[in-house]
Formats: sequence, structure tokens, C-alpha cells
Amino acid sequence: MIVDINFVGLIIASIMASAVPLILASCGELITERSGVLNLGVEGMMIIGAISGFALMTVTGSLIIAVFGAMLAGVLISTIFAFLTQTLITNHVATGLALTIFGIGISAMIGKNFVGIPGKEFPVLFEGLKDTIPLLSPILFGHSIVFYFAFALPFITSYFLKKTKIGLIVRAVGDSPESASNQGINVRFVRYACILYGGAMCGLAGAYLSMIYTPQWIENMTGGRGWIALALVVFSTWNPIKILIGAMIFGGLTIIQFHMQAIGVRIPVQFLTALPYIVTIIVLVVISRDSRKIRLSTPSSLGKSFHKDN
Amino acid sequence: MNTKLKISNVTKIYPGCVANNNVSLEFNSGKIYALLGENGAGKSTLVKILSGVIIPDEGKIYLNKNILKLNSPSDAKKNDIGMVFQHFNLFETLSVFENLIIDSDEQRENLREKIDTIMKKYNFSIDLDVPVLNLSAGQKQKVEIIRCLIRSPKVLIMDEPTSVLTEQETSELFLSLKKFSEEGILIIYITHKLKEVMQLCDEVAVMRRGKLVSVSQIKNENMESLANKMVGQNLKTIKKKKENNSSEQLINITNLNFTSEDPFETNLVDINFSVNRGECLGIAGISGNGQSELFQVLSGEIISNKNSIKFNKNYIGDLNPQERREYLMAFSPEDRLEQAAIPQMAIFENVALNNFKSSNFFNNGLINENKIKEHSKKIISDFNVNTDNINLKSQFLSGGNLQKLIIGRELITSPDLLICFNPTWGLDVGAINYIHETLIKINEQNKSIILISTDTDELLKLSDKISVIHKGKLSKIMNAEEVTSEKLGILMGGGN
Repeated sequence: MIVDINFVGLIIASIMASAVPLILASCGELITERSGVLNLGVEGMMIIGAISGFALMTVTGSLIIAVFGAMLAGVLISTIFAFLTQTLITNHVATGLALTIFGIGISAMIGKNFVGIPGKEFPVLFEGLKDTIPLLSPILFGHSIVFYFAFALPFITSYFLKKTKIGLIVRAVGDSPESASNQGINVRFVRYACILYGGAMCGLAGAYLSMIYTPQWIENMTGGRGWIALALVVFSTWNPIKILIGAMIFGGLTIIQFHMQAIGVRIPVQFLTALPYIVTIIVLVVISRDSRKIRLSTPSSLGKSFHKDN
Repeated sequence: MNTKLKISNVTKIYPGCVANNNVSLEFNSGKIYALLGENGAGKSTLVKILSGVIIPDEGKIYLNKNILKLNSPSDAKKNDIGMVFQHFNLFETLSVFENLIIDSDEQRENLREKIDTIMKKYNFSIDLDVPVLNLSAGQKQKVEIIRCLIRSPKVLIMDEPTSVLTEQETSELFLSLKKFSEEGILIIYITHKLKEVMQLCDEVAVMRRGKLVSVSQIKNENMESLANKMVGQNLKTIKKKKENNSSEQLINITNLNFTSEDPFETNLVDINFSVNRGECLGIAGISGNGQSELFQVLSGEIISNKNSIKFNKNYIGDLNPQERREYLMAFSPEDRLEQAAIPQMAIFENVALNNFKSSNFFNNGLINENKIKEHSKKIISDFNVNTDNINLKSQFLSGGNLQKLIIGRELITSPDLLICFNPTWGLDVGAINYIHETLIKINEQNKSIILISTDTDELLKLSDKISVIHKGKLSKIMNAEEVTSEKLGILMGGGN
């Protein structure tokens, strides 16, 4: 059998494409969690982003408005979460779960009128270079701008957390909101900002799904990717680079098991479908075993409400 | 330039408690001031007002005749007031340098230079690039002090700074503070330890129940007069009668080892000791040197080799705490509200947790509430717990009352051995006295105690024998009469 080297390249590219929404949502949630806030509403924010992006694209015809509108929708819905958890001091877990249920419901409602409408073609970059280098060309060229942004994001996030003052403040708030407050840092403001940023990234991840990855609206189209994104954050021990690795493994196994099912490999379908979830978690647990590093990167105040007493 | 800090008629009221009642005080640079008082006397509230963490209901604060508006900690910083809190305000997972740069506007290189200069000047040596959780308590405190010094403060407030320090670290701290004072920084030193006030300070203000009781020169005071002012009554001094105890061995630990998987715990290495009946063995050490691991191994929270612990001729190393209790051991852990009692449960429910087969608290799986309540009432009256409501959630008891309840719960079954860990940590003088008396009484009844404590004065007062734990290793066991606190300090720091 002759394996076409460009075909391998295409498979890798499709794996990367399927990893994009996970990377975006995880990196957003990572910043939120690093500030000490546990937002379980990732799935809900993603699906809101998906329907908002698709609806705006259909109604206005502008892709730019649609993408930014989806991010704004993510910001808006996360503002509800921020207001509840930071101003009204509600429980993070319960509020986050409610956000997901709310998001799935309201997206289905809005989405009724958009079922079956074909999407638009999203412009890709560097298409002219597609046939220049074997293997690498399909991987490197001919993707949407969101794709490139997603693969830069883990590195940007890592740099932001390690090297910038604002990143330091975010980590400090997640480590000890009491100390941060005593140092004169406005904990509530920092946490609001981090929650809203997480919302924007989840919105973008949703828009990628409904506008670029599978350009159409299907009810519940995020299909649990939000939960995987959440799991990636935890099992990567809040490390953006490991999120990238985890998202690639997950995307890779998802694509490969599709192909295996198509070829007709004699392994139960249920097992194949479960495979990406199991392997991703096992790999991340194994590469994150250093308990010292876990202690250093785990936000100590994660999920705990903070309010200043006076 | 002289600095003058004035507190004028400050009042702060919390629901059900007046934390500061019309307090007025004046401080001048060049002197070290002590603010002395028991827990809950209002001294922490007062310094939190000075550092902008708490906003007073009434009253004004002046610095050199300017009225200060202290609405947030950054206001205090802007006005050159530096504060080192009792509970460190550090970010454990960030490096020392990151901790210092976070509230500084300076460039990385400039700040590094500045920190190096400060460290050289005061003889501090701290690696700036390790995470703070790797530092000892003394080093963490130095980081806090450096953080204040970077801003060249006019006022430096130290809140109970020595509660986590060794003897050596304390004297180092005192030297630094005296140096700061000579350089014109006004120092306010908050404490409930009389010895330190006598050693370090020039003037002392005593607070009791939110009110300022007295302001005086140290040279006109002594430990006793200050103690009486602080408590508001004459304290009896308790002393242990050192007798010849029986030579019957009660508990014998041989070659006890514990290796932790958590890198932030301490491993125990070859622990060997024995305690006779009627004896109190004190175990000194700086916190974090294996005390909590040792306590857990002794109490059965961590199970070890069966033969490593011999108690009353039985080998019990592999038994859990409940089974050990049946053999008449009793435990009072360090963390009262997390380990010893459940905060959201009522007093009587907490009492029932100490479930002896013989006490019949449960019938066929049902709770025998009357029996438990009766038992709880007995503990409350026998051990002087200041409440008559046994339905009260234990989190609402003061530290002293909670500790009395816990000790009472443990002792009411008259165990042969009580193992306690920092039993008077954070308590006020009255409660400490009561706990100490109780512990002495236990010894007089020919029962034994293992007292793990970071308070050397307490150990010297109560123990018959003393050993020091350092990095999970126990020093040789010494007779308490032959030991001085200096000697303990050296051993605690790892010396010989």
C-alpha cells in the first residue's frame, strides 16, 4: 500500500482542527481558574457562542460581526456568572452548572429558526502555499485565522502568566485572595476580568464549531466538548502547554477512531468512542505526576468564594 | 525627621462585640512601642485599622499632624505605614521575587538591586527565586519585612511576629527591629508575650476587651504587673511539682519510621522513646519539622508497623485512632476546628464523635441523644467550658472554651495517656493557665502525657523530660531540669 504523504498531512491538519475549540475554551477557562474561580459553565458558554456566531452570520452576513458577536455573547453570559459568584457570593459549582443548563436551553430556543440553513465559507489564509512543501503544507497553510490564533494561544497564555505583571496578579489572586486584598489588589475586579475573558474564549470556541469546523447549526452541537475542555484544564495541572498536548491527543484519537470505524476494525464501537476520553486523561495524569509542580501551579483558592469583611 | 503617629478616639463595633472602644494613643519615632493584650482584646483590630484593612466606625488617625484617610491597604502603603501580619500575606506558590514585585512599580532590575542592598544591610540571606512555600517561617517573615522596607516606611507594625519563630530567629528579629528604630522608623509591636515586651520595647500600651487600660514606660513595669493589667485580675502562678515518677513504662516507641509521598510533609526517621506512668514528655521543635506527622503516627491517623508502638504491653502500631482509644489513649490535635471538632456540629454531637463501645452512645445504630447530652453536660461543668447550651455549634465557641471541651471529652474516660499537640496555641492567658493546670493534674493522677508543642516556655513548665524534633529526627531525651530555652533553641535550629 502506498501512503500518500500529503494524505498524512491532511489527517494531521484535521486532528489540529478538531483540537481548536478545546484549546480555545481550555485556555480561557485556565485563566479563570488561575484567578481562583471555578466556572463549570464552559459547555453552556460554548454553545451560546456557537448559536450567536451562526445566527449573526446568517442575519448580518458579516463574518467579522459574527465572530466578535459570539465572543461578546460569551462575555455577556459569563457576566451573569461573575455577578452571581463575585457580587452575590453564590457557590461556584452550582452557578456554573446552572449556566451550562441555561446555555444549552436558550441556544436550542434561538437556534430553532436556524436549523438546516447552510453556513458560509470562512476565508482561509496562505491558500496559495498549499502545495509547496509535502506533508507540512497541509498542516501549516490554508486554515482560518481562528485556527492560527488557537495554536498561538497556549504560548501566549503561558507567557502572560509567567512573564507579565498582570499574569502575576492573576496567579496571586488565585493563590491567596486574602493576601492579595491586603496588598491592595482589587480581587473582585481581577476575578470579574478573568471570568469575562474565559467567557470570550468559550464564545470563540463555539463560533469556531458552528462557523468554521462544521458550518451549520445543530442543536447541542458542542457535544460535551466544554466538559472535555474543563477536564483538560485540571488534568493538565493548569499548564497551557500541556493543554495543547491534551487537546491534540483527544482530537487525534477522535479522528483516528472515526477512520477505524469507517475501515471496519473489529473493536466495539462503544470502546472506540470512549477511547479519546480515557487515553487523554491517562496521558495527562502520567505527564503531570510531579506533585511539587502540581502544588505550585494549582490555584489554592480554586472554587472558594471571597468577600472582604469590614 | 521625627514621625508622630496619633490615634484619636477610634471605635469599631462588630455585631455583639465592641472591638475598639474609644481608643486614643500617641507614638513617636525612635522608640519601640508594645501593644499588649489577650486574644480578643482588640489589638489586632486596631492595627488592621492602621493598615487600612478595616475602616473604623469613628475616630481619626494623624501622621505628623495630617489626617490619614485609610480606606484600603494601599492607602496605608502610600502613607508610609508598613505592616507585617501575624498570618503572612504571602503568595505561597509564587517565588520570593514575584511576591515582592507584585506591589512595586519598579523595574525588575532596579528592584532586585534594591532588595540586595536591603538584604546586605540587615544581614538577611534569602534566595529570591524559590517559591515561598519552601521557606521557613523566619524567612517568610523576612520577606514580609523586606516588602515593607522597599517602600522605606515611616511606621512599621509587627503583629505577633514571634509566634512562629525559634528562639534564635526571635533574637535576630529583635536586633533588626532595634536597628530600624535607630534609623528613625517608628515601630509598633503587637504581642501577648510579656517576656518580649520586657526585652524589646520602650513603652507599653495594654488593651483589654477593646479598651485601652494603661500606657506606661517599660522601666516602670515588670512581668507580673503587666500580666495583671492584661488579664484584669491577679493571676496565680502555677508550678509543677517535680516528683520521682514511677518507673513503669507506659508507651514505648521503637524504630518508628514514616515516609511521606507528599513532598511538603516531613519524613520521620528512626523515632525511639518511651514514657513512664505519671510522666510528661515534651517534644519541642519549630513547626513543620515533623510534629504533625509524629502526632498522626502516634494517634493512628497514619498507621505504622505493629511492633513500633508498644502501649501497656500491647503492640498497637497498626490500630486506628478509635481502636487506640479503646486501649485508653486520648488525643488532642493541633487544629481544633478542623481535626478535633467539626465546626458545624453541635457540642453534644462533637462529644459523641469520641465513640467508645462502653459509653453506649448508640443503640442498634440509633443515636442515644439523652445519654450523649448528659455526658456533654458533665464535661461542660467538669472542665469549666463557658456555655450552658450544648446544642451550640462548636464553631461558635471561643478557642479557649473549645480546647477545654476537647480536652474534657478526651479526659472524661480517664485515659492512661494523653497526646496533645500545641494545646494552648492562640489561647489567652486565662485559658492557657486552665489547660496547664489540667495537664499537671493528669500527671498527678499517675497518668502520662506526650506534649508536642512549639512553645518552649510551656514545655519547660510542664515536662519531666524533653526532646527536640528537627527535620523528622528526635534528639536525645533530656531531663527537663537540665534544659534551658537557649539549649532548646539551638537543638530546634538543628545545632548540637
